[in-house]
Amino acid sequence: MKKVATPDYTVADKLKTHVAALSTAAKEVVLPLNITTHYPRERKRQPECFRGFMLFDPERCISCFQCSFVCPANAIWMKEAPSGRYYPTVDHGKCIYCHFCVDTCPGGALKTTKIHDIAFRTMDEMVAMTEDMVEPPAIIREDKVVVDYVIDKEDLTLKRTKEVDELIVEIEPSEGVPMVSVCVDRGSCIACKVCTKVCESGAVSSLKDEEKLIVKMEIDSEKCTGCGLCVKECSMQILRLVRRE
Amino acid sequence: MLDADIEACEEGMKMATGSESEAEKGESKWEVEVPEKKLKDKLYFENLKAVVIDTELCSRCLTCVSICPSGLIVTEEDRVGFPDYEERCLDCGACVRVCPRFIYEPPGGLGDYIEIVAARSKRFTGQDGAMATEIIASAIDMGMIDQGLFVDRSEKWQTSIFHVRDPKQFGIGTLGGTKYVFAGILPALKEAVRFTKKGVGVVGTPCMISGIRKLQEEFPVFREKVKLVVGLFCTENFHYEDLMKFLREEKEIEIEKILKTDISKGSMYITIEGREKKRKVKMAEFEERGLVAKGCDFCTDFTAVQSDASVGSVGSEKGFSTVIVRNENAKEVMEYIREKGNADFSEEIVMDEIDYLINFKKKREAHIKELALPE
Repeated sequence: MKKVATPDYTVADKLKTHVAALSTAAKEVVLPLNITTHYPRERKRQPECFRGFMLFDPERCISCFQCSFVCPANAIWMKEAPSGRYYPTVDHGKCIYCHFCVDTCPGGALKTTKIHDIAFRTMDEMVAMTEDMVEPPAIIREDKVVVDYVIDKEDLTLKRTKEVDELIVEIEPSEGVPMVSVCVDRGSCIACKVCTKVCESGAVSSLKDEEKLIVKMEIDSEKCTGCGLCVKECSMQILRLVRRE
Repeated sequence: MLDADIEACEEGMKMATGSESEAEKGESKWEVEVPEKKLKDKLYFENLKAVVIDTELCSRCLTCVSICPSGLIVTEEDRVGFPDYEERCLDCGACVRVCPRFIYEPPGGLGDYIEIVAARSKRFTGQDGAMATEIIASAIDMGMIDQGLFVDRSEKWQTSIFHVRDPKQFGIGTLGGTKYVFAGILPALKEAVRFTKKGVGVVGTPCMISGIRKLQEEFPVFREKVKLVVGLFCTENFHYEDLMKFLREEKEIEIEKILKTDISKGSMYITIEGREKKRKVKMAEFEERGLVAKGCDFCTDFTAVQSDASVGSVGSEKGFSTVIVRNENAKEVMEYIREKGNADFSEEIVMDEIDYLINFKKKREAHIKELALPE
């Protein structure tokens, strides 16, 4: 076993440390160093890519369900709108704010904001309906100052600026990876035309030749948005999303 | 979760997002041949209904259930049906394409074979020689397939499908043994085909085997993934509800206590827990009450001639199974079993017993001739 021994300080060493401690104490009395943000009167400046409350643009949504498929917390449910299209609703009780939904959205319909402070009175209220996500939620803001944390040599210091931070970030929606649907096993196609029915953009077509008893299937890669609905619905699982050339 | 499940999930994820193999680019234009309708101006399902279901030709192999893209063909009261088919049938013709009895060429006889042997598994115990179990287990061991589909049963003799991924799972006693009631093995097969890497092995009755062959004939995905098809000797099958009611009420047999059932020489022998003597019920009694499935009246295939290997108790001594090896695939597995010493073999086969039942079923050809199919 090894015994831990006290370091062998000389009188001079001890004096030095005492003086340093006293001078720090004196400094704190004159100019206190405090790194606490006084929320809600102050607000920390969040980065542009902050993953907070999500906003939704129905115009851009193609009802492809990708957000609800990818959601690891199962927080997204697709709800039928009066128009017959399906739009996402987010249960903030379940959401882990990973924003995979924002990242996967092929149309860029979901976008992130810096809003992270919303209170809900009941569990039911935590489910943000589609219509609640179109406009930013009403939050009462008392902040007048924005706080930036600055690393100055070795110390972390605060920089306070008298301004109000914009919580809605205007950024270009990500283009995503351009995908297109193709058939990888034509022999196993049963021509059930489910793909034709589910396709929102009318890219999948089928034409039946009654005389020759042949169904001509075609995916128009120009029209295909790569939403993957047909891939999901295909009963024979022979459609795939591949990277657009 | 089992490792295999996780692998299967990962495989599924890859399939959904695709693009892992650049060689597999796929096509955006293709053609599909659809079958001819016997009744013009009717939906394909109506054709199937008129030709197969309403004529009671249907064997309930459930091939149509497995392939239907709407997933709405179901079994209702021991019959195949499709509620609201007028509205919800997609009219794709898949059910007609795969139905082994829409254009019925009744298989029968002994079929082609390489060898006929009697064998008894050393690893497993079953109704007889447990050879169906042994063949699938050995195929998993040798890496030919990565899962086998079996019919399991509950205490009440209701059937369910059991996926076997490891021969250790055969410890479940209810997997072996004849069930004599219908089971939905084909719908399970379609799911299994989606997730398997090496291939799937299936055990089924002759009608199911015909269905599987039809699926393989029509769709490459089944040709690739269904590697081993083990057929069972089969004389007929029963309707579950009616059979159980008959045994419970008229014969006063407690269903939960039945250990096994066996048909030989025109009677069903039922082994009951706690009783030494088997209960004997004459087949005629079942037939009088219409308990035997109607579709079986038109079946002439006793030995599952379309399978890779057929297994049954008929023709070999007590405790052994007769195995008819029909192709190279099955022969490979049998050789593996011999090599590893997983089973005892015997050359004693009584062909007369097998021939008797083949001829017994051959007589049913008359029923097919009597059948009035809609024009």
